[in-house]
Amino acid sequence: MAQEAVAETGGRPLPAPGIYDEMVAADGSIRPHYARLQSRIDTLTHEDLAERQRTLERFFLLQGITFTVYGAESTTERIIPTDLLPRIIPASEWATIEAGLTQRLRALNMFLADIYSEQQILMDGVVPRELVLGAPSYRREMQNLYVPNKAYVNVCGSDLIRQPDGEFVVLEDNLRVPSGVSYMLANREAAKRTFPGTFRAMGVRPVDRYPDLLLATLKSMTADWRPNPQVVVMTPGVYNSAYFEHAYLARLMGAPLVEGRDLVVHDNHVYMRTTTGLRRVDVIYRRVDDDFIDPLTFRRDSGLGVAGLFNAYRAGNVVICNAPGTGVADDKAVYAYVPHIIRYYLGEEPILHNVETYLCREPAQLSHVLANLDKLVVKAVGESGGYGMLIGPHATQKQREEFAAKLKANPDNYIAQPTINLSTAPCIIGTELEPRHVDLRPFVLSGEKIVVTPGALTRVALTKGSLVVNSSQGGGSKDTWVLSDDKRSARL
Amino acid sequence: MMLARVADSLYWMGRYVERAEHLCRLSDVMLTATLDRTEAASQVARIAMGSVGDWDESRAADPYEAAVGLVLDRDDPASVFTSLARARENARQVRDQITTETWERLNVLFLRMTSPDAAESFGDGSSVFLHDTIADLHMFKGAADATMAHGEGWRFLLIGVYLERAQLIARLLEVCFGDPKRRAVTDHFALTSLLRMACALEPYLRVYTADLQPRYILEFLLFDDDFPRSLRFCTAQMETHLRGVSRHFEEDAGQVSPERLAGRLRARLQYADMDELASTGAHALLTTVAGECAKIHEAIYNTFVAYPLEMRLPA
Repeated sequence: MAQEAVAETGGRPLPAPGIYDEMVAADGSIRPHYARLQSRIDTLTHEDLAERQRTLERFFLLQGITFTVYGAESTTERIIPTDLLPRIIPASEWATIEAGLTQRLRALNMFLADIYSEQQILMDGVVPRELVLGAPSYRREMQNLYVPNKAYVNVCGSDLIRQPDGEFVVLEDNLRVPSGVSYMLANREAAKRTFPGTFRAMGVRPVDRYPDLLLATLKSMTADWRPNPQVVVMTPGVYNSAYFEHAYLARLMGAPLVEGRDLVVHDNHVYMRTTTGLRRVDVIYRRVDDDFIDPLTFRRDSGLGVAGLFNAYRAGNVVICNAPGTGVADDKAVYAYVPHIIRYYLGEEPILHNVETYLCREPAQLSHVLANLDKLVVKAVGESGGYGMLIGPHATQKQREEFAAKLKANPDNYIAQPTINLSTAPCIIGTELEPRHVDLRPFVLSGEKIVVTPGALTRVALTKGSLVVNSSQGGGSKDTWVLSDDKRSARL
Repeated sequence: MMLARVADSLYWMGRYVERAEHLCRLSDVMLTATLDRTEAASQVARIAMGSVGDWDESRAADPYEAAVGLVLDRDDPASVFTSLARARENARQVRDQITTETWERLNVLFLRMTSPDAAESFGDGSSVFLHDTIADLHMFKGAADATMAHGEGWRFLLIGVYLERAQLIARLLEVCFGDPKRRAVTDHFALTSLLRMACALEPYLRVYTADLQPRYILEFLLFDDDFPRSLRFCTAQMETHLRGVSRHFEEDAGQVSPERLAGRLRARLQYADMDELASTGAHALLTTVAGECAKIHEAIYNTFVAYPLEMRLPA
């Protein structure tokens, strides 16, 4: 029997139990939407693949698709590790993702419009008042401020993961200044070069329109009073790790890339300093966090922002995208209420589910969390980037006890989720193909209307067995192919 | 219309690129010349080092070490390494304004210069290393010319290139012919090397044939209308490009605009007379060139980059 199984899978090992593999089904067969890519890979030797991988890395380095690593001795630039093999998503699954993300962002924009005006949802007790108004990311300054189209979140990059049963669920919403879209576009360029024939034959949906769609979205934010608005991209500067992306988007949109020092506010209008004098700015796609955009309104010690910018915004003379204060809707505790938020505003059942989340503020859920600390991941609500976190299964008994004490002392500050095995996708590791854990970050634009780009950044945990996909912690990325027609792509 | 900061970056990118190219050429000529151990060869080394402001005799006595410093020294603010690093840093600041083709050329240069093998490949064959670097710099300029829109940004880049070039050539001439108290350069070998440092040997020969006279060389590098490194040519280019960028701009009261300064300098070079120069020496004219270039630089700043806001606020 065992020999037969090996023959069927062509010598490939079966995916580990309890893990969904994007390419190989549990019985060892290749999933139909991967068949064509698999047969192309079979014609290449491992050395060919490794060679192509090197060419790709060289290309990224030349293009300056890099992030800066600051060391004690010297400052170096590294490319984001990029894997050559695309991750493929069938049209039928994408349809669900697209509908789900659109629904979710519609509801979240309505939620933000509500809590920054009438606060009906808080009056109705659907979301606890203190949870929203007490969150550090809640911006009192945004109260009753007019936001065109009620589109608070113009660019959203939610993180999805695939559960062992194959269902995509939302792990977190990124509604502040999500990044990574330039890697989606650069990875696509690279994948087209590497597998042109397969790409053509599969009917992959294009992502290249993202910059035009972004520009159109930004322009739609002033369309009702400025016919030909001046859009700029605002960056913290060349030393920011995402600088490449800021410059890349500015170049592809044809919008000036400005820093805070290039802008001046006069009489509640925003101007940029040009060689021929001052020129009016209408829309700022800012890649600077809320805290730093205006030292007069937010953090006083910020040198990155523009003094008076927020007043100009309040006066309606400039639009800041994303709107300040959107972070309150991607807060980890508010996250747990997103399904309720969707039902409340839209009267619909959520299409994409959340990861099961326990709110420690609820006494019943807290006791469940305390009883199951060895199985759960506990996260502090206000923190991000893996700080203030307990990964139960990997922690010692002593760490768990210490954390339990913190939980009891300040339960409001914590949520807990079960540890989830992300799905895996094949990657080129050295000269071998090996499965690695991946997530999925699609990009959704919202201005006058909501547009989901048919593609995504697939982040890869390159360390074997690791579930951490963040690029700051050894994560990489790969191209994501969304198919236009499942039947066509399966045909060989 | 472009951001003031962007214009500034493009201008400095041009200056640094030109500086890097000139330093590579100086180093190459110096190293090739000093393969012979003659007095003329030492004179060439002194000219090269003198023109970068280093009059330390011991440095000129060890041309190889001096060249390593000029090219690879990471701590020297005037080395090729630093110039290229800064040119690229400026390019990164304005990455959205320059074409990918142009950026790639500069990035290749930077990657070669910062690679851990740079010192080794310079040691293995300095001539090949410098030749390749110069060739890549030419490709950078070619890519900029062939792929960038010939608008304001490109003009600021070229203003930087020509201003820097004028200053570098003026300094080279000053070292050779400026000071009447110093022994004038008359040796045939030294004169050939001087022309090579200005990348002028072949164009000079086509005009004056192989008759190498200090007077002709001075005339060629100062006044030739067509040679791209003559001071007259550089100044004319500066004036053209400055006029190109300041179309929409009115002169602020009490300020002389940079294109008027450039025009004045061009006129000075246009009507200067070789006989007059022969009697008074080149020093006065070269000093004027250096001084006017500094003024043009300052005027560019006051006009385009660091202007006072009060004057530009909308009414």
